[in-house]
Parts: sequence; structure tokens; C-alpha cells
Amino acid sequence: MQERLDALLTSARAELAVAADDAALEQWRVTHLGRRSELTGLLRSVGSLPREERREAGQAANAARRELEEALETRQTELRRGADGAQLDVTMPGYPVRLGSLHPLTRTLREIRRVLAPLGFRAVSGPEVEWDRYNFELLNIPADHPARDMWDTFHIDDKARPGELLLRTHTSPVQARVMEQIQPPVRVIVPGKVYRYEDRDASHEAEFMQVEGLAIDKHITMADLRGTLTYFVRAMFGPDRELRIRASYFPFTEPSAEAEMSCHACNGDGCPVCGGTGWIEILGSGMVHPKVLADVGYDPDVYQGFAFGMGVERIAMLKYGVTDIRSFYRNDLRFLRQLR
Amino acid sequence: MRVPFEWLCELTGIEASVDDVATRLTNAGFEVGAIHRAGEHWDRIVVGEVVRIDPHPNADRLNLPTVNTGSEEIQVVCGAWNFEAGDRIAFAPAGARLWDPYADEPVLKELKPTRIRGVVSRGMLCSTKELGISDDHEGILVLDSGAPLGRPLAEALGGEVLEFELKANRPDALSVLGIAREAAALYGTQVRSPIPDDRAGEHGPSQPVQLQIDDPALCARYSAALVHDVKVGESPAWMRDRLEQAGVRPITTIVDATNYVMLELGQPLHAFDWETVRGGFIGVRTARPGERLVTLDGQDRELTPETLCIVDAEGPVALAGVMGGLDTEVTDTTATVLLESATFDPVSIRRTAHRLNLRSEASRRFEKGLPPELTVLALRRCVQLIEEIGAGRGEILTADAYPEPSDPAPVALAFDRIERLMGVAYDRGEVRQALSSLEFGLDEVCDELRVTSPFWRRDVTAPADVVEEVARLVGYERIPDTLPTGQVMDLAPGEIDERDDEARDVMAGLGFAECVTYALTSEARMARLVPPDLLDAPPDSPLGDEDAWATVRESAMDGAGRALADRLLPLDREPLRLRNPLSMEENVLRLTGLGTMLETLRANRRHADRDLLLFDFQPSFLARDGDLPEEPNFLTAVIGERVSAGRWNETGTVELPFVRGVVDELLARSGLPADEASHDDLQHPTFASGASAAVAYRGRLLAAYGEVDAEVAEAFDLDERSWALLVDMPAVREASAGPPSFSAWSEYPSALRDLAIVVDAEVSQAEVNDAILRAGRPLLQSARLFDEYRGEQIPPGKRSLAYALSYAAPDRTLTDKQADRAHNRVVRALQHRLGAELRG
Ligand SMILES: [Zn+2]
Repeated sequence: MQERLDALLTSARAELAVAADDAALEQWRVTHLGRRSELTGLLRSVGSLPREERREAGQAANAARRELEEALETRQTELRRGADGAQLDVTMPGYPVRLGSLHPLTRTLREIRRVLAPLGFRAVSGPEVEWDRYNFELLNIPADHPARDMWDTFHIDDKARPGELLLRTHTSPVQARVMEQIQPPVRVIVPGKVYRYEDRDASHEAEFMQVEGLAIDKHITMADLRGTLTYFVRAMFGPDRELRIRASYFPFTEPSAEAEMSCHACNGDGCPVCGGTGWIEILGSGMVHPKVLADVGYDPDVYQGFAFGMGVERIAMLKYGVTDIRSFYRNDLRFLRQLR
Repeated sequence: MRVPFEWLCELTGIEASVDDVATRLTNAGFEVGAIHRAGEHWDRIVVGEVVRIDPHPNADRLNLPTVNTGSEEIQVVCGAWNFEAGDRIAFAPAGARLWDPYADEPVLKELKPTRIRGVVSRGMLCSTKELGISDDHEGILVLDSGAPLGRPLAEALGGEVLEFELKANRPDALSVLGIAREAAALYGTQVRSPIPDDRAGEHGPSQPVQLQIDDPALCARYSAALVHDVKVGESPAWMRDRLEQAGVRPITTIVDATNYVMLELGQPLHAFDWETVRGGFIGVRTARPGERLVTLDGQDRELTPETLCIVDAEGPVALAGVMGGLDTEVTDTTATVLLESATFDPVSIRRTAHRLNLRSEASRRFEKGLPPELTVLALRRCVQLIEEIGAGRGEILTADAYPEPSDPAPVALAFDRIERLMGVAYDRGEVRQALSSLEFGLDEVCDELRVTSPFWRRDVTAPADVVEEVARLVGYERIPDTLPTGQVMDLAPGEIDERDDEARDVMAGLGFAECVTYALTSEARMARLVPPDLLDAPPDSPLGDEDAWATVRESAMDGAGRALADRLLPLDREPLRLRNPLSMEENVLRLTGLGTMLETLRANRRHADRDLLLFDFQPSFLARDGDLPEEPNFLTAVIGERVSAGRWNETGTVELPFVRGVVDELLARSGLPADEASHDDLQHPTFASGASAAVAYRGRLLAAYGEVDAEVAEAFDLDERSWALLVDMPAVREASAGPPSFSAWSEYPSALRDLAIVVDAEVSQAEVNDAILRAGRPLLQSARLFDEYRGEQIPPGKRSLAYALSYAAPDRTLTDKQADRAHNRVVRALQHRLGAELRG
């Protein structure tokens, strides 16, 4: 028995020394340690030996098995080092395994939607080419009203109906579209592209994204608006943000309010991000004008609610520290990958 | 609007700091965009007195004033002559810093002693331009005789000017008095109105002025006053200063007085030289056909019939509210002036001012709607000012036409409405206090307040308007944070499809970077999607005509190519054009995003990234007759190169099957199993023929992909091979089967068989695959192509395809024999139907 084991060990060690890759090692393992190997055969035969020899033979065979297993492990480790015995360099870069990326505006829009969803706001969309009626008239901005100066408008050249088709200047027309179709309660947000006839610079775009919010029911108040906005800026920019609102004017809200949040970059101490004031203008808002409600067929003595609107690029610029709004539309991969 | 702080304080008696006033007004809705401080950059510029003026020994056009600075006398050389000995002036001694009036950019320069024509000048008398307070460079600034000698100039001039960014709803706030009313309400002071009491009895009309308003809808009120013994000249310094601080250039006494009243009260006035007005008659009416007017700017204008004019007995003398006529302008020789103070229709003024591009301080105020009550008050104030500055002797009101006096009804506001809207309680005393401080008339009846607006607050017409007044006067700090409660809506119309998000995620997962591109593009950019030889017009010229598109329509397209050209890459549609584009580079709404995406690909190639996979998922705009355009969200992807995962330096070559792999995965993830859609050769000028395909499902085109035609690529300055993928996602959605459904697999082991065949090269893989699947039924579970080969061992015109086939039965383990039998059936079918030969 011991002789056979010794012979077996000798030949196995010799074969192992020349096994040069994982496949050879596996072959060796099957030959010498597998179910049909000689050693396994020997171990099985121990039971048929005379009782007094069994113990010694069993120990010897098991010792041989352990030795071979250890030899295999040692050889495996050897092979994993280079020829000179050096270890693999774990600081080598990984092979390029790269997901693509979502645009920072898409990511910001999704975050806004995610933040507002628990308050019951559903995201809806509407047309970007819009009738004057929805973009202006149903929002209490009649033709020739000086408030129209607040939105420089691109008009579509349409011979059949001159002056009626335009590129929407805000996402607010979707307010009217939604309210025309359903009865309160209404709680929607409207993300989407809007257009302004305006020269581009670092802080102005002719095309940009807005998100509009609208909540209408019997008892929705200005305090609910303020609470919603506070919740929003804290969810987006951190729990330490403070909100303040001040009186403003939009034709489709009354009262109207401009909202600012304490600067997330300096916590309100004043820094370049907030122009030294500690506060950052973040959105316009107000209680939906009774005329807007009446024009879509709601009874303004019964229903009331709030609306707010913000620029998505502005939110994204604040979140990611982008200083030029045009960067979002250049689609430079260096930009897109940084902000992925 | 610019409001000098000192003026505001004079009308309110407020003693707070300018910053405090700015903050409180801003919070109340009167946003202060900037606080300008005169003399912010001044340094050592003081009030000086000219002691004497000596002639310059060597130059007649120069003089040598000696200036007392309060501490010393300094002689300087000066080129201006508009001052006399005894005048107080702005004086800069050597060492002071001044704006350089000759520099293009504003720049401060230190003043040094200089020798001018042989005489040393140790300082300078300053003009307003050198001080940076106006562009007027003619003559030096002569101050009031009361200006404190030797004190810093900033102190003498007052200084701070509040610049308001005013909203469209408050015409009353376009005046110092209007801002003063707000400020006084916020600070609890009394407004000191500059409007004098009615003294009409003392200065009755001297002669009849006949007024006629044709349409009270276009001119609610017209009031006029005559001013006699007019002296046209320079206004006093205090008036000039205030005008300049408010951003209005001083001209001459009469014009300055009318501008001053406009700034102070918000009512624009116009002055006619009464002797040039024919027939003692002033009328207000729209222009008649053929009427013309030479306006103050010297332009001879033909008047359109909707233009509202002021006319005399013979014809137009002014464009109402927009610009006066040259013939009736007040000049140095004018002896009698007729002051006009009128209420014109905002819409009419706005249209005329826009049409003629003549928007002015006056027209801006008319556009917002002025109250008719203001006309006579403004006249009274103006006459008083003219007399005060010695520019004439006025009548308080010579004539007044107010055909249909209006009397707005009070607004009824239930007290509980305030809390209902604001979500916070306001006590009644507080409400009354806020409203009466803004001069609203109040009448309390039970739980209701009847609120009468002062005449200047015509914007307050409904309860919500009154609530806003209360809320902003008390301050928005009062409003607490609560969250909306109550029932949540279920489905909303136009709800955003979650699957749009999923499609973006799938593309990002496949390695593509999402781009957000402009919807506006140029026809030229879209025309570059067609090889230039197919176009009539060269690609760089904007294609204004339809011929270019027609050419494309006639070009070699059939079947899928034509379907593609109709919708997904709609080269034979007309784009929506802008009436007022910013430039010809973006004059139409895009029919396809492909042009923009190829440009994006090109731009990214410049910085040599080797992993160029981009996609865009934004709408295209397809016009529809009599309706809004369709705005389908087409997915557009472009591919330059990709890095294959495997080694550090391997760039994976992009071939058609890679793009197809992307299509298959996207369609599968959109609920359309890859084997349901058919892929066919695409003939379309944008794509390289033989290297592009169209994807259809039940005859409807869903997608197109392939290599971009080499000439098209070149037109986009792309010299390497580029690939594109267009997917009509709305069509995919309609075709998709909804959520995937589960089908059970065999629990018994599969028998695997490989199959390599040689077939004619014309036989498509789809045909082979189809034949295999049919013949293998019911035991064949799957057939996966793993190799294609053409070359030496294969006869010309043939190719070899190799498949791995898997057989299994649902209820038992297949024996080798059973599997062989099924496999042989497949082999025979291929031989029989497709003439295939078994290989190897
Ligand atoms: Zn800051």
C-alpha cells in the first residue's frame, strides 16, 4: 500500500510541476483526485483490507490526498504569479465596461417628479406648439395686454390662421388643458420644453425646460403652497434649507409669490452662488387666479388652489454647479459623463 | 423705473435707510433690482465756488477759473464757458479719480496736475459725464447756490437711486408718488402729495379751446390747459438733477416740466405750440385714409386707419400717446403752450407703439391703463411747476372732455374668505388697517367688507385682489407651512408614459449617452441628410423652396424607404416655420433630430473620444391641417465608435449586426419580441444601401438603422463611418403586446445539436431561421446562429451558416435517437426547401 502511494505521489508531483495553465490543472485534478482516480480507488479499497491494516492504510491514503490537494493549491498560486513570481498588479485599470448615461436634465426632472409624487402630483405633458388661446388667453393674458411683454414669443408662420400658433412660452397652458378635461381634485406637475424669443447667453436660453405644478381642490390654501415649496426645496437641496416668499405678479395667479431658498452653497452666509445675498430665487408661484378657474369651467367660489413653475436648468445648475445654461444643449460627452 | 431716494423720502417722510426701504418694497412686490449710488466711485470730489475767471494768456477758447474748495484756492485751466464767478460747481483737485469720458469702456483715471498751453492746471471743473451721472458732456455741472462749500459732492447731490423692476399690473407704480404710497403704507407714514389744491377759480380759461373725442372707448378723457408768456430755456438745477437721476434727459423748461410730472404722478403730458394748432380745435380720432404726419423725429409717416391721432381743425398734429408732430413742437419762439393730459386706450397705444417701434416712457404708461381722474391733477401740478420755474403763466384747466365718467363698483369681501384662501387668520383690525393705509375706502356690513379702490388702483376688482393687498401689506412671513390634504386625483389626461423613462434607461444600459437637443433647426441642416447630388440647391443655402424636398421624393426610394421618408425621416414633408426666427440657423421646427445628432457626433469626435454612442429622445414636429402638429417622440441614436469590453485597447468595430442588437434589445424591452418584427433592406438616400435596414411589424414601419451614406456623412464633416438608428417609439408602443407573459420550459435535459449548412448567398438568414423553426417543431426549443462564413472553402455565391439547436420534450428525457430524428427532419427540410448542403 505505502509503495503504491509513494509511486503515485511521485508521478503526480512530476505531472503537477509541468501543468502550466488552468486547463492542465483541472485535468491533473481529475486524474489524481477525481472520482475515478487511483487514489480514490485506493481509499475505497481500504475497507476490504484486514482489520489490523485498515487504520494505518486509511491514514496513509488520507495523508496522500491532503498532500496532493495542498500541492495543487500551491501550484495554482504559483501560476497566478508571473514567471518571476510577481503578484498581479491590482492597480491596473479595469477593462472598459461602461454604461451610457442619462442627461442631467432628465435626471433632474426625474428627481423633481420623485420628490413631488408622494404629495400626489402626477406628471402630465402637453403640446410644445400651442394655440395662443392656451398659452395666453386662458391664463388671463388677453391679446394686447402689457403682461404679454413678460414672454417674448416665437410665432409659427401659419398662413391659414396667422398669429394663432406659437411655441409655448411656459408649461402653464397644460394647466388649462388638464382642468378643461377633468373635475377637481387636480394635482399635476407638467415637465417640458418651453421657448422664448431671446438671445442666448450664459444665463438665458431660447429653449429650456420648465416644471409646472398645479393643485386644485376646495380647501387648498397659500399656506399649502408655502408648505409644498418648503418640502420641495428641502427634499431637493437638503433639510437645512429655508424658504421665503415675497409678493409678485403673474397674470394667472392672485396672490402671487416669488420664492427664494437659503443658499445651499454657503448656508445663507453669502457667496458667489447666491450673489452674496444668502438667498437664491428658485421659482414663481401663487394662488390660481379666479378668472383662470372660471374660464375652464370651475366655480371659483367653490374651488381654489395653487400653481408654481420653475426652470429645470436652473435647478440642475444649482445642483451640479453648472455656470452656463447652454452647456445642457451642447451635449459634449465630457459634460454628460461628468454629470452622469 | 428709477426713483431718486431723496424724492421718495420727500413724499413720504420716511427716515429709514435706503437698504431697508428697498428690502421692504421688494417683499411687498415692488422689486428693487438695483440701488445706484451717485458718487460711489468718487474720491475727493467736492463742492467748489468759482472765485474769479481769468482769460488764458495763450488760448482764446480756454479760461482760467480760480476755485475756492473751502480750504484753499486753486487755479485750473478750463474749456467750458457755462458758468460765472460765484457759481458753485463740482470740483476735482489733482489726485481725485474721475471717469474717463473718452474711453470706450467705463474706466476711472487719476487726475494729475497738467500744463495746458503754458499754464498749470491743478484740478478740474467736472461735467456730468466725467462724474458718471449722465452722458451729457456739454458744460460743467453747476450746482444749486445752496450746495455746501467744501463738502463731498455725493453729499450735495443726494445720491441713491432705486431702480425698480415693475410688474405689468401696476400702472400707478410707474411714478414716484405711486411708490411713495406703497412705502408710506409699509412705514405707517402719511403721503405728502405734491398735487396742489384746485385753484381753478383764480385762473379761469382765457379763450375757448374746442375739444372733441370721436370714440370714448379710445380716449376716455382729454384735459387741456393753456400756458401763456412762455419762456423756453434751461430748467433750474434741482429739476435737472431729479430728471437725470430718474434717467430722463433735461431739455428745456416746458418739456422738463411735463416729464417731471410724468415721473412724479405717472401721467404723460404733451405740450403743443398753441399758435401752430389750427382753428383753436383739438380732436381725438383714428386716422383717415391718406393722412400723413411728420413726427418729432423728422419722419414723414403715412397713418394707418387704426392709428389714434390728435388732430386740429385741418388734420393730424400728433400720434396720440406715442409721439408729437414736428409742426406743433414747442420751440424757443413759442409764446403759448397747450398742455395735453389725456387717457388713451391702452390697446390702441400699445399697437401703434409696437407697429411703429416707438415705445417710450409715455407709451409704456398708457399701455398699462391710466385712470381718467389723473388728467386734471397732473395738469394742475404741471402748471404749478411751470410757474415755479418761471417758464410761463398757466391756466389751471382750460378745457376738459370726459364723455363717460366711470365709477367702479366696490368689491365685496367676506372676512372669512381671507383665511380660506391664505390658510392663516388675519384679524379684522389688521385687515382694515392694511387696506386703509393703501387708501382703500372701507364699509363694513356684518361679516363683509365693501372695499372701494382709490382711483389709481383700477387693478383691484375682485376679492382675491383685495386678499393679496392685505397679505402683502401684513407680509408673507405670516403664512405658515402646511401640506395639501384631501383626496388625491387618480389618472390625469396626458399622463407621461413611464415607458419613456424605460426606453431611456435601456439605451443608457446599452452604453448610449443621452443628449437633449434643440427642437429648432435649419432647413439646410435637414437638407444635408440627403446626398447633395440629389438636391437642386446647394446644401449650405437655406432651402426656402419645396423643390429640394420634391427632388428627394422623386429619388430612388421604394417600400420601406418611402415609408421612412414619410414619417420617421420625413423628407417629403414641409416643416413648421417660425415667423420670427432668431436666425436662419434655427428657423424651422425639426422633422427629425438626425441632423442635429450627426452634428453632435461630429462635435464630440473633435476631442477624440473613442466611445461614441449617443441618443436623443425628444419630439419631432409633423404639421397637420387645421390642428396642432403631431409631436411624436422619435428616438434617434448615432454611433461613431465603441470600445469593446475585454481589453484596454480594443476598439470594437461597429457593423450592422451591432446596431441590430441594439434595436432588438430596445424593441424587446418595449414589449415587442425581437422575432416578431421583420428586417428588410432599406433604400433611402440618407442610409448606405446594402448596409441599412428597415424594421416593420405587420406592415408598419417601426425603425430604421444602418450606416450613414458616405456623402451624407461627409456633408456633416464626418470622415469615419457613422451609424444611425431611428425608432418610432409611439408606433412601437402601439405594436407592443404589453407586459411579457410567462411560458414554461421543459424540466428535462435538452439535446444539443450543431448544424452547419452552405446555402446560396441570396437566401436570407431569416429564411433559413424560419425554415429551421418550422421543421423542428415541436421538439426544437431554440436555434441560435453562431457563425457566418464566406471564403475559400465555400464556393463563390454561397455562404455557410452555423446554428446551435436545442431539442427537448415537455414530459420526458429525449433519447439520442429521438433527438437525431428531429434534427434530421430539420436538415432534410433545409436541403429540400432551400437547396442547402450540410457542411463538414
Ligand atoms: Zn451662497
